[in-house]
Amino acid sequence: MEQNNSLPPFQGLASPQGALTPVMPMFSPMMPYGSGLTPQPVTNTNSLSLLEEQQRQQQQQQQQQASAQQSGMPGGSGQTPQLYHSQTVTTTTLPGNTPLYNTTPLTPMTPITPATPASESSGIVPQLQNIVSTVNLGCKLDLKTIALRARNAEYNPKRFAAVIMRIREPRTTALIFSSGKMVCTGAKSEEQSRLAARKYARVVQKLGFPAKFLDFKIQNMVGSCDVKFPIRLEGLVLTHQQFSSYEPELFPGLIYRMIKPRIVLLIFVSGKVVLTGAKVRGEIYEAFENIYPILKGFRKTT
Amino acid sequence: MAAVGLKCPECGSLDIVDDEHYSQPQLVCADCGAVVSEGLLTTTRSEELQGTDVRYSNSTEVNKQPCRNQIKGIHRVRALCRILRLSFVMEETAENYFKQAYEHPSFIRVSLQKKEVLAGCCILATCRQHSWPITMGTMTCLLEANPKLMGVVYQEMVKALKIEAPPTSVIDLLETHCQAYKLSPQHVHEELSESSKDLTKRAAVLLELAADAWLVTGRQPVPILTASIYLAWQSLKPTQTRLKYTLARFCQMAKVAKSSIAPKRVTELKEVLCKLGQELPWLRGSEMTPQTVVQMVDDILNYRLTLLRKALKSHEAALASESELPPSLEDTQPGPRDDAPSLDATASQPDAESAQQPQQDVDLTCTVVMGGLSRAGSGQVSTPSKRSLFEPPSVTHAKIRRVQLPVKEVTGDEEISDSEIDSYIRTPQEMRDYAEAKEALSSSEEEF
Repeated sequence: MEQNNSLPPFQGLASPQGALTPVMPMFSPMMPYGSGLTPQPVTNTNSLSLLEEQQRQQQQQQQQQASAQQSGMPGGSGQTPQLYHSQTVTTTTLPGNTPLYNTTPLTPMTPITPATPASESSGIVPQLQNIVSTVNLGCKLDLKTIALRARNAEYNPKRFAAVIMRIREPRTTALIFSSGKMVCTGAKSEEQSRLAARKYARVVQKLGFPAKFLDFKIQNMVGSCDVKFPIRLEGLVLTHQQFSSYEPELFPGLIYRMIKPRIVLLIFVSGKVVLTGAKVRGEIYEAFENIYPILKGFRKTT
Repeated sequence: MAAVGLKCPECGSLDIVDDEHYSQPQLVCADCGAVVSEGLLTTTRSEELQGTDVRYSNSTEVNKQPCRNQIKGIHRVRALCRILRLSFVMEETAENYFKQAYEHPSFIRVSLQKKEVLAGCCILATCRQHSWPITMGTMTCLLEANPKLMGVVYQEMVKALKIEAPPTSVIDLLETHCQAYKLSPQHVHEELSESSKDLTKRAAVLLELAADAWLVTGRQPVPILTASIYLAWQSLKPTQTRLKYTLARFCQMAKVAKSSIAPKRVTELKEVLCKLGQELPWLRGSEMTPQTVVQMVDDILNYRLTLLRKALKSHEAALASESELPPSLEDTQPGPRDDAPSLDATASQPDAESAQQPQQDVDLTCTVVMGGLSRAGSGQVSTPSKRSLFEPPSVTHAKIRRVQLPVKEVTGDEEISDSEIDSYIRTPQEMRDYAEAKEALSSSEEEF
């Protein structure tokens, strides 16, 4: 395999795993002896320090190789020739790998992501449908006053202990609590959610409260897309039992709980997929790229 | 010195001390020894630090006896297993699950109602693991519980105990479901009776066809079972008496619960059969309607593989010819037949001509594998406009979504205009009106 400088998006890793085997000799003749990373002599029988030295060596090599990757020279470190696996690295790992020298996410032996062969991306991009965010206005609020003085607010203390306020642009809804905390829902992008939250804070400010804009955080993102072919849900639940739950008597879709990234997908027979539980946009895209090859395997046409 | 200002009622001295007579606290005058006041001899329950009641579940007893509700629950599990006539192994497994789940932290404190449902859920999971066909609906009926609660508790239990219980397939449920239908000669008139074995066999083939045509995935299993048994019963002896029976009357006769969804499934299944029946060569061009299809079901099912292949071919031909036809020609063609399989709106009108050329070999992009119903038509997914012969109904009757406005690009840190914010705030006049209206409303409410 020739050297691949560009990693495929959201796939496992293409880092040179093969070079970093635990059976590597401690002091190879090529390794510069006085590099400053090998403080202890070979005769030291303390196994822990041996392991630490191994780790330090490997870390140094990995840094060298990272720079070698960029410079385009694979043999820079003088170690065993780098093996670039572009396929089948997503699920296997060598025993004894320490987390020290992983810069790209490694998947452990127990499958937390379903095993998928590296393939081209699907070409479908999930659309974001809803963003839920929270912000702290930093002051106590009198909900009765807000409900009285704001046009777009509703407040029914017997039903719910918060004011429900809506604005037209971006079209969102906010729940404003008397502690000063606010939840903003309905935006279609992160920036829109932030803008909407600022508008609500400004409304509250104009109503006479010393509102600030503290700790804005996106709590949940929901996306959806269509793979454009029908899916055999019964087959999918049989092969991916530990992740999926399909109860046609309760809900028509299959609930797939992906572990990495931690996203819940609702998969329907028509091919529509809803992804939820993400904190950043990339998680939704990554989850969809993970599920698409699996769904393609269950595509049946009659 | 006790509290400041206390005077001995006997001698008037201010020297009052806290003294204890055995365990009774007393305030005593130091000069004359008179007891000014005394406390209680015994402590109250709330003051005691040792010896208060500890809940049994919090106690440190090593070999805990199961609590009363747990014993009741285990009895319930056993009773349900006897009702369902499960084997001894399954009964043991269910009991084990129940014990584990009951002591699990997520179930030890739930309401009694949930604990009752938990018993049923354990049995359901055991049945699924041993491939014993039973629906969640049956268990819900036996427990007389809320179906939503049943679903919630079942999913929680599976997660808590980390067990894997594959859901039962619809075809496995068919045999047990069929036995509920009282159609033996002793129950109904001889002309209407049917043996359970024949009924099951015919219904199984219909069910397989329905499953391949995407009528089963994602839907409630019981209505489709009812629909396939009804059609099987009608088609086994398609006499006029049988054909006159509607689904509701059939369920009444067989002493089975009615369902509002089953008629829709019957219609869908008939449509699928029509699509296949259209390809029968001895029709000679006459139409196949849902009314007439029932008599031909026998033939359709016997030759369904061939008919499916033909239907796929004609569908391909229809799609190909439709893309070749210029728009003007399409208008002059005869209008689409209403009773023809309507699932593919674009290809409806060329069906007429393709049915008359069943032997024409169309250059197929797809390869139809012998005996593999499900693997046919793999080449049709090349372009998104080509649709397959059978599609899930949710795709065919897609919901009309409201038009999505294009997402505006914002940075999130823009300037917010004052006028926009002012539009959300009431004018003083409005506020006065609102306050008056509220007062008027509240006063009128008080009158009532």
